[in-house]
Amino acid sequence: MSSEPIERRVSYLGDRLRASRCKICGKEYFEMRDYCGNCGRKSFGKMEKTDLFYEKGKLELCTFVKAPTNKFMKLGSYVYGIVSFHNGKIRVPGRLTDQIFCNGTVDFSSYEGREVVPRFRRRYSVSRSEVIPTISLAFSLADEYYPHQEYLIAKPSKEYLKPGIVGYGVYTSRFRIKEGKLERSVPFVDEDAVTASVEAGKLALLHSGVDSTLVGKIYVGSESNPYAVKPIASKVAQVLKLGEEEEDVQSVDAVDTEFACKAASSMFKDAASLVNYPQSGVKYGMVVGADNSQSAPRGCPGGELDTFVGYGSAAFIFGKYDVIAEIQGWYSCTSDTTDFWRRDGEPFPMHGGRFTGDPAYFKHVRKASTKLMEKLNLTTRDIDYFVTHQPNPQFPVKIARELGFKEEQYFVSLQVNKFGNTYSGCSPIGLAAVLDVAKPDETILMTSYGSGAGSDSYLLRTTSQLIEKRKRQRFNVKFQAENQFVEYVDYTTYRRLKSGM
Amino acid sequence: MQNRPAIVAVGRTKFGEHYGKEPEKLIEEAWLAASQECNIERKDLEACYLSDCFLPITNKLGLEEGFLSELTELHVPMEATRSVSAALLTACQAIQAGVCDTVLVGGLEKMTDRWDKIRDDLMLLEDPWSYYAGGTPETNHELMLRAYMKKYGVAGENQKKLNIALAQIAVKNHANAARNKYAQFQREITVDQVFQARKILQKPLGLFDFAPISDGASALILTSEAIAKKITEKPVYVMGYSSATDYLNFPARDDLTHFTATKIAMKKALKMSGKNLRDLKIVEVYDQSTVMEMVALEDLGFCEPGTAWKSVNESCNDYKGYYEINGNRVFVNTNGGLKADGNPLGATGGAQIFEVFKQVRGEAGKRQVETDQGHPKIGCTLEFEGFGTKAYVSILGRGENEQ
Repeated sequence: MSSEPIERRVSYLGDRLRASRCKICGKEYFEMRDYCGNCGRKSFGKMEKTDLFYEKGKLELCTFVKAPTNKFMKLGSYVYGIVSFHNGKIRVPGRLTDQIFCNGTVDFSSYEGREVVPRFRRRYSVSRSEVIPTISLAFSLADEYYPHQEYLIAKPSKEYLKPGIVGYGVYTSRFRIKEGKLERSVPFVDEDAVTASVEAGKLALLHSGVDSTLVGKIYVGSESNPYAVKPIASKVAQVLKLGEEEEDVQSVDAVDTEFACKAASSMFKDAASLVNYPQSGVKYGMVVGADNSQSAPRGCPGGELDTFVGYGSAAFIFGKYDVIAEIQGWYSCTSDTTDFWRRDGEPFPMHGGRFTGDPAYFKHVRKASTKLMEKLNLTTRDIDYFVTHQPNPQFPVKIARELGFKEEQYFVSLQVNKFGNTYSGCSPIGLAAVLDVAKPDETILMTSYGSGAGSDSYLLRTTSQLIEKRKRQRFNVKFQAENQFVEYVDYTTYRRLKSGM
Repeated sequence: MQNRPAIVAVGRTKFGEHYGKEPEKLIEEAWLAASQECNIERKDLEACYLSDCFLPITNKLGLEEGFLSELTELHVPMEATRSVSAALLTACQAIQAGVCDTVLVGGLEKMTDRWDKIRDDLMLLEDPWSYYAGGTPETNHELMLRAYMKKYGVAGENQKKLNIALAQIAVKNHANAARNKYAQFQREITVDQVFQARKILQKPLGLFDFAPISDGASALILTSEAIAKKITEKPVYVMGYSSATDYLNFPARDDLTHFTATKIAMKKALKMSGKNLRDLKIVEVYDQSTVMEMVALEDLGFCEPGTAWKSVNESCNDYKGYYEINGNRVFVNTNGGLKADGNPLGATGGAQIFEVFKQVRGEAGKRQVETDQGHPKIGCTLEFEGFGTKAYVSILGRGENEQ
């Protein structure tokens, strides 16, 4: 049984954790109320809309669920309880997510009293043809992998001549699989490309301090959207309240893009151009690249990819105010080269073996990078950091060396060893890792690659505001890569978690 | 009370797994048992109040009244409610208003026809947001227990005693059900078994702390006082009845340790009956879990808040068939409660009323309890819809000086 209208209403309230507060008596309600039950008729028009999405809650009471209801079966065992916000003024039910309970006794009472952060996740399992239910009544412990960060909207202080990156966020999950030196991030069973997109977008808003209502366009690039038809961007727009909201509709243009691993990076220039065009009325544009990188299991056709695929997302907000890295120029190239593809209705992609190297990846990355440097009259010596797509640990190093970059120029961006190939999130995460450590007035060359095939090369120059804004993001790339709360899983668990609910 | 409604006969089926029977067969069985007991014919009925909690979901049956009409070949007013107590309350009001004099009140449920999805359905109906967040039909009970222990600082040795007391509630109810031929589980269990089941789930409450899912039906015939006296020598009067309602969303309730609805309903029903709490000797509470029985003792007023587990523990260490509370003997869930008698939601209240009816008439057979003044005169039932979202209290008894 599924009901799309019910699903939409539950998601509208539950994804964002919409709440309301009576201005007369201060009573707060989860869900939206037109009047306060306490104050009655006089409170009409005096209810304030609030939400709990960026708040920190407290797990008041909990118990252990070992025999879930049917729809929660795939979660296995979990801690479930009552979470309070605003010193107990609002209490909501919630389950702890990002926890794997295997055998052994669980002292669930030790979780009581701990601070928790609401997380946007899949709600429960439904059949493959149904609408995917989501909710933020899933919580993770604030003192573990994912810290609580406040969303403080900052008033813009400076307008730049050129558009650029105003803020960014990277999200990778708490779980990893480690094989040899290679670590790859693994989604929890209730995560997918949609939840990763929302997480990255949320983190980018936190980092930039941009008022979400001023974001006029959202692009989401992914090749693992759980829907063949239905955008991820609409979910991101609604959960993150992008653009002004009026009668549950967001005044924002939301669109999904697809071009294998460059679906997101390709839109950087579109977002930058849009905010630079005065008549567009768009002050900020957000670009998200997210993937639960797909691969057939090992031993099956296409299973070679299973050694490298990861899970992660990155979001960038473009604008002309308080820019941390200005875009100096770009160059794109395309050819119809089918080196990696997934036919409609097929669960896993195929790829062209050795063909993915020379005629595909290397050719396009080489072309875009050299053409952009030529266009801007630059040599590799003028560039401080080189970022490129990382389908495996070898390819990016090989092309960087061939182009003439030294290890110190490309090393910082190499994140494939930590998170795996996050497809659309891959080169954007590399760029984020560079921005995490770069100094003002440094030059970054980023060249993405998408099978099919094409590359986009960007030249960015950092500004002094990069350093000031860095304080706003605790949950940066390094924090996620070297986090003590990361949990390692074996291959069987990895496949189970990756296949989701 | 003017024009007291009186129960003249009761009937019920065995509760349990009736895979071979359609829902209408069950209600037919219960109604026939009641009608035979008092010699009332179908044509005497002036109205029917029928309850089922979710037949439309379990059996895709709406308009159950139509079934009853076919069975009885009656075209009288028939109304459906979600619990027998709600049906009884409505029927009482109709009789007191003088609208009718002879009414059939019944309830049925067929939960095992949807055994594979019943837990999802139960939770979705009981508390949707908790369901969406991952709650199960057990979690609200467990959270209430956690809240209770925290509020009253029950820890260490006392916590052990409380856990034993809860197990003793289940053991006591199973022992009672062993003497009840209609009960779903007619076998005794031990405190060790209850603890073992909790250990398997690594939780404070286990399999033996919860009522089962059941099929079953129950029926009673309610008449005006004047007619009752003609039909039977021992009418059981509905002396007081009331109901109250609480939020659907359990976490949002003001009090997580008690059921506000029970407190309100009990207060009003007692006032209506003009009786004292001490007059109530036989009490059928809604023990969907052992926690619910413990909390009910406090909400109904028998125990001070935070103390019921002590009274239960002390009474059950050397169980004599009743809880001894402040020197007062209270016989609780003598039919085995929901725990062991069974819990076919829409029919459950009928089984509770059945028990009080039989006990106050001294017809409970092997289960008959005796006070110092003979068999109990007055009793009450507490029935819920949902997790205390609705609470119904009915006070039933024989009149003064009536044997």
